[in-house]
Amino acid sequence: MSTTSTTTARRSAVGRHHVTVTGDPDGPVVLMAHGFGCDQDMWSRLLPRFTADHRVVLYDHAGAGRSDPAAYDPQRHATLDGYAEDLLAICAELDLEDVTVVAHSVAAMMAVTAAVQDSSRFARLVLIAPSPCYVDDPATGYVGGFSRSDVEELLASLDSNYFAWAAAMAPVVMGAPDEPALGEELERSFCSTDPDTAREFARVTFLSDCRPLLGRIDVPTLLLQCAQDALAPLEVGDHLHAAIAGSTLVRLEATGHCPHVSAPEETAAAIRAFLAEQR
Amino acid sequence: MSGDAAEPAWEHAACAHLLTDDAGTVTRVNETFLAWTGRRRADVVGAPLTALLPVGDRVLFTTHSVPQLSLAGRVEEVSLQVIAADGTRLPALLTAVRRPADLGAGRAAEVAVALFSAGARRRYEEDLLAARRRAEASEARRARAEAGLQHLVHHDALTGLLNRSGLLEYLRTAARPASREASTPSAPAVLYLDLDGFKAVNDSLGHAAGDELLRVVAERLRGAVRDTAVLARLAGDEFAVVERTGAEGAGELAQRLLRALDPPVVLDGVEVVVSASIGIALQDADEEPGAGDPEARGPDRAVALLLRRADAAMYRAKARGRSQWLLHEPGQVDPATHRLQLLEQLRRAIAEGQLRLHYQPRTSLRTGRVHSVEALVRWAHPERGLLPPSEFIAAAEESGLVRELGAWVLDEALGQLARWDAAGGRERVPGREPVQVAVNLSGRELADPRLLSRVSAALARHRLGAGRLVLEITETALMSDPDAALVTLRDLKALGVHLAVDDFGTGYSSFTHLKRFPVDELKIDLSFVAGMASNPTDRAIVASCIELARAMGLLSVAEGVETAEQEAALTALGCDLVQGYRFGRPTPAGALAGAGAAGR
Repeated sequence: MSTTSTTTARRSAVGRHHVTVTGDPDGPVVLMAHGFGCDQDMWSRLLPRFTADHRVVLYDHAGAGRSDPAAYDPQRHATLDGYAEDLLAICAELDLEDVTVVAHSVAAMMAVTAAVQDSSRFARLVLIAPSPCYVDDPATGYVGGFSRSDVEELLASLDSNYFAWAAAMAPVVMGAPDEPALGEELERSFCSTDPDTAREFARVTFLSDCRPLLGRIDVPTLLLQCAQDALAPLEVGDHLHAAIAGSTLVRLEATGHCPHVSAPEETAAAIRAFLAEQR
Repeated sequence: MSGDAAEPAWEHAACAHLLTDDAGTVTRVNETFLAWTGRRRADVVGAPLTALLPVGDRVLFTTHSVPQLSLAGRVEEVSLQVIAADGTRLPALLTAVRRPADLGAGRAAEVAVALFSAGARRRYEEDLLAARRRAEASEARRARAEAGLQHLVHHDALTGLLNRSGLLEYLRTAARPASREASTPSAPAVLYLDLDGFKAVNDSLGHAAGDELLRVVAERLRGAVRDTAVLARLAGDEFAVVERTGAEGAGELAQRLLRALDPPVVLDGVEVVVSASIGIALQDADEEPGAGDPEARGPDRAVALLLRRADAAMYRAKARGRSQWLLHEPGQVDPATHRLQLLEQLRRAIAEGQLRLHYQPRTSLRTGRVHSVEALVRWAHPERGLLPPSEFIAAAEESGLVRELGAWVLDEALGQLARWDAAGGRERVPGREPVQVAVNLSGRELADPRLLSRVSAALARHRLGAGRLVLEITETALMSDPDAALVTLRDLKALGVHLAVDDFGTGYSSFTHLKRFPVDELKIDLSFVAGMASNPTDRAIVASCIELARAMGLLSVAEGVETAEQEAALTALGCDLVQGYRFGRPTPAGALAGAGAAGR
């Protein structure tokens, strides 16, 4: 019935997304948005390189990590717009200003979408292993790294990968031998993700095409790219660099898709150099 | 591990092993892996490990396992597939351990990977997943049927307005005033509107023109009310408007509605002048409906009273001529006042044996045989003749007298079943005599703590198994206190009694509750069955009910089946049992035995 009231008490964006605020409360704001398939724990190695002189804000996307399960809205989160709205809502709720958004993987395009919607709170974007579109586009010569049939197979296999998703939730002992222990967080689910939500998230990730947005970014942007990134070949970096006016492209020594995990020192140095240059 | 890699034991280990560098490039691979995949060493070494995986696993491994290896040092039993040389997919469980660089020994970081063939496990996972998806699909179908049904049940297909049950639902929930606010401008007013002379239009211009007129009227009414107003078509040419106007605003609204109907309506080139009569009643939180009878309070009663008052005011308005409106006056004679008299007579009727039971067969559409009978009470009134339950059950239910009435019906029906058993010997002629007797149970009886003992005592008295008894409870009765109903139903179910939801489709079911109720049958209300042949909405409701029953594993029972078309439609829809004049009228026990023997 149309008359039924739908106003229900809603948790704040900060509560819904398990927002963590740490570092120097008076320092410039760095907001870190984790990538596909994980949660804010992915920042654990990069974090110590910023907390001394920055106010660092971490959060979990709807459906990921320790976010409120109710925060995930299958309709709103069917496109990156919903995730971008969440990011903006967190900034607004904490009244963050001059934010440097550090975003990994698919979150890079959430940050781009958010910046195009409303960049008033953003000072700059740092995009780690970004890709505006994972699918090749032969018509324009764009190389995304995945053929159309790859993506079709990928989406088709999402369902049968259910147990692989679930396995990623298995509890493991955190704390690599060369890294200080993570205190009370020592043993808990690594990148806990609901397999059903993860499937939908993968769909959004691999079917989005943010290329039309790139020309509308009006904040300084740093692109960090690695060789041997299974999700984005080097051509993607070139495309982004050409399409985003005034962007800086840095190719890291590190390889793979997660340089902030595998090479935090180098990643932090590149980001800090950009921050210093833009100050 | 790198030391082990040169060992023959490693080369020919029971499972496939690989080593990669920190970037995921394969540096070594054992014979077991090569034999298992048919790949050549030269093709594997130097390539990324992820190149061995199909695209989906490649993405998962990159986004989940690689960072986990980095952060936690190991991943265990990742379920994935390895692509063999001939392209086949080999199901496997992957375990990997990362060994950090040992600068002293001059050794770089490396990752040791073990792959266990896991065909059986994969098949098991696929089975589990398929079962899960099937369950989800069935749940989604049920949810769709439910949502569709809720809409159909609460809306009038012709005008798109709410129907009677939709209006009742609205009045019971959304429109109830929270406090004493009858004197404030926001008290909800119910305006009953009945067209003057609608029958003449229908008779002279035909039903299609009549329907068109109703649609035009609905549109005009909608145009004359505020957005927050609720409109309903209750039946035929009766409409209702609910708006928070207060008493004075209600009069203005009534005039506005009447004016909106002033311009003539052109139907098939004929100009028709429309007018209506309106009766108004205000929902009044001050008043305690049934104040003298503490058992008769509650939202249902309040809503019924409100509608009855608006209806009565409308009839008085109509008596004054066309295009009139009247407000219900407090103190005006309530059409229900003769209820007390009736109750007094009924009390005597039970004591003096004026009640009778008639039995109506419930026939299996599959076998064509009588499956069971429903016991229906009649009152042999000394002055008014044989009265159907519609004449006295509502009053009995409101007063609580229904408990005595129900006890009599239960005992009599089970007694009759025992007599049939004794006379016919159902073992000798299986299928001819009724197997079960169905008895109606009111909301009052359902809430009666002595119900369970009364039912078990009656069954014992007549030496009948509990499975011979079906108790039919209306949807509305079940939903008035679903949690309490659930407890009682579980007790009855434990006793072995069969349970049916009666008049299904007319109430306000929360399907969440319905799903929890341990019922055996859904009885589809006869109003939907009656409209099946002509009205697609009714047919859709019946189909949804049958589908719902099937999804929940219940028997579907259609009531009021009168025509061959209805029987054919129900057969096509897969309805289990039917009941109605087509299969036998309610008759005294003696007459039924004959009808049953005659067979169909």
